[in-house]
Amino acid sequence: MTLLSDTRYIFVRYIKKLIRNPILLFFSLFQPIIFLVLFTQLFEKFANVPGFPAGSYLIFATPGILLQNAFGSALQSGNSIVSDFDTGYLQKMLVTPVSRYAILLGRLTSDAFRVLVQSSIILALAYLLGATPVTGILGVILMLLTIAFFGLAWSGISLAIGLKTKSSETVFAFGSFLTFPLLFMSTALTPLDFMPSWIQTVSMFNPISYTVDAVRVLMINGFVAHTILSAYLVIGLVAVVTLGSTLYLFRKVVS
Amino acid sequence: MSNMIEVKDLVLVYSNGTKAVDHISFNVKKGDFFGFLGPNGAGKSTTIKVLTTLLKKTSGSVNIAGYDLDRDAKEIRKMIGVQSQETAVDGDLTGRENLMLQGHFQQMPTKKLKERVDELLKLVNLENVADKRARNYSGGMKKRLDLATTLVHRPQLLFLDEPTTGLDPQSRSAIWEYLEKLNKEEKTTMFLTTQYMEEADRLCKSLAIIDVGKIVASGSPTELKQQLGADSIQINLKNCTKDKTTAINLLKSLTGVSDINESGDCLTVFAKNASKLIADIVRALDSLGISLSGVSFSTATLDDVYLKKTGKRIRPEELVRAPSTFGRRRR
Repeated sequence: MTLLSDTRYIFVRYIKKLIRNPILLFFSLFQPIIFLVLFTQLFEKFANVPGFPAGSYLIFATPGILLQNAFGSALQSGNSIVSDFDTGYLQKMLVTPVSRYAILLGRLTSDAFRVLVQSSIILALAYLLGATPVTGILGVILMLLTIAFFGLAWSGISLAIGLKTKSSETVFAFGSFLTFPLLFMSTALTPLDFMPSWIQTVSMFNPISYTVDAVRVLMINGFVAHTILSAYLVIGLVAVVTLGSTLYLFRKVVS
Repeated sequence: MSNMIEVKDLVLVYSNGTKAVDHISFNVKKGDFFGFLGPNGAGKSTTIKVLTTLLKKTSGSVNIAGYDLDRDAKEIRKMIGVQSQETAVDGDLTGRENLMLQGHFQQMPTKKLKERVDELLKLVNLENVADKRARNYSGGMKKRLDLATTLVHRPQLLFLDEPTTGLDPQSRSAIWEYLEKLNKEEKTTMFLTTQYMEEADRLCKSLAIIDVGKIVASGSPTELKQQLGADSIQINLKNCTKDKTTAINLLKSLTGVSDINESGDCLTVFAKNASKLIADIVRALDSLGISLSGVSFSTATLDDVYLKKTGKRIRPEELVRAPSTFGRRRR
C-alpha cells in the first residue's frame, strides 16, 4: 500500500534530519535534564512534608518532567511544516503522486519517535539518580507509549498553527507561551493537595494533569486501571480536536 | 494526439479576489520547448501551479497528455517533473538521498531507481559529492541536484520555473546544455518560464508572452521578432560619395528591402529578414563593381518584442547586459 510505504519514506527523512542535527536534540534535552538534576534537588525536602504522595521528590517529579519535555517538543512540531513550505519542499512532494496523508503521518510518527527517544533518555537518567518505577519494564513501556500518544496529540495543535499561519515565529511563540502556564497549573511538579484551591480547579480541567497522573501511578503505585484509562480518554479527546483541525487545514493546503 | 498541453479559457481568481490568470488559452506540442514569458506578477507561476496540480483553477479546462486535470490529477503527477523557483533540495540529506527519495515518491522499484540515480548523478556532474550533504553544495550544484530530482522518473513533460535565476553564467550554460539535451534526446516536452530573454531565445521553439493575466503574443522566437518588423543592415562603401546613388538604386530593386537610410557611416538598409538578404546585397553590389569596406547587421531582439508587448523592460540587470545587437544572429 502506498500510504504505508510513503509514510515510511517520509518518516525516515525526518529521522535522518533529526539524527544529523544532534545539537538540536541535545538542546531540547537540556532543559528536562536541568530540571531532573537541579530542580529536584532544590525541592528535595518537599518530600518530607506530611501528606507528600511519594518517597522522594525526584520520583514524584520525573513523570512531570517527562511530560514537560514531550509537550515542549510536540509544540514545536509545526515548524517542520513551515520550513518545508518555505523551502518549497512541501510543494515538491505535492507535485508527485505521493500519498497526501503520508506527508502528515510521516511527520507525526517521526515526532512520536523523537519523544520516545528523549523520554527514554530522561527515564534512564532518572533511574540512575534513584527513581525506580515499581511496575518494572512493562510499566516503563506503557509509560513511554502513553507519553508518545500524548506527544502525538499535541503535535496536532502545532501543525495546525503552522499550516494556518505559515510562520515559524508564531509556532515558536505559541509553544513557549503555552508550555509553562499549563505545566505549572497541572499536577506535573506539585501534588494536587499542595496547590491553592483555584489552581486545583484549573488543574482538574488541564489535560496534562491526567497524563501526568497516569505516568505517575505507573512510576509509584502500580497498574491503576482507572487512572491510566482516563488519561487515554483525555489524550484521545485532545487528539480528535487537534488532529482533526490539522487534517482540515492540511486538506485546504494540498487541494 | 500531438499536443502535450491543452489549456482553454483558464481562469484563476485567488481567494482575495485577485484575478491572476484571465481566460488564457494555449497549446504546447509534444516534444516542444515552450517558453512562458512575462514580468513579475504576470501570472506565470500561477499558471504553472495550476498545471502542476498545486492550485485549483477557477474555471476553464486543462488537458495534459490526454489526462483531464480535474479527474486525473494523480496520473498527471506521475508523468510530469517540476522544478520550482525555490531550489527545493533537503540540505540534511545527501545528493543521492535526495534523488532516491524523489524516486520513492514516484513509486519506482528500488533496483531501477538506484541505476537511474547513478546515471543522473553522472549527468549533472555530482558523482564526487553524491554522498555529501546537500547543505554544503554551492548554489549551482544545488540547482543541478534539484533539476536531477525532477528527472528521476523520466517525466514526459518538464516544468521549469525560472531554472537559472541567480546562477553564475557558467552554471547557467551548463543547465542550458542539459535542458537542450533532454529535449532533443529524450524528447521531453519542456515548459519554461524565464525572465532572461537570452535564455528564451536560445532554448525555446515556441513562446507565449503573458502580461496581467492575459497572453499578449505567441509564436516562435523568430516569428515574434519578425512581427516587430525590421532588422537593420549597415553598409559601408569604400567610396561612399561616389557609389552611393548607384548602390541605393540597386538595393531598392532587391525584394525584401523595406527602407533605406543614408546614415552616418554610409547606408542603413531595413529589411524583414536581414540574415537571408545580406548575401544578396553583397553579391549585387559586387556585380556592379562597388567595393565594400564593411557590412554588419542587427536583428530585432526578444527584448524589443517583450518591451513592445508588455510595455516593460526585463529586470534592470538584464538591461545592462542585453544581448549585443551586432554580429551573428542567434537562434
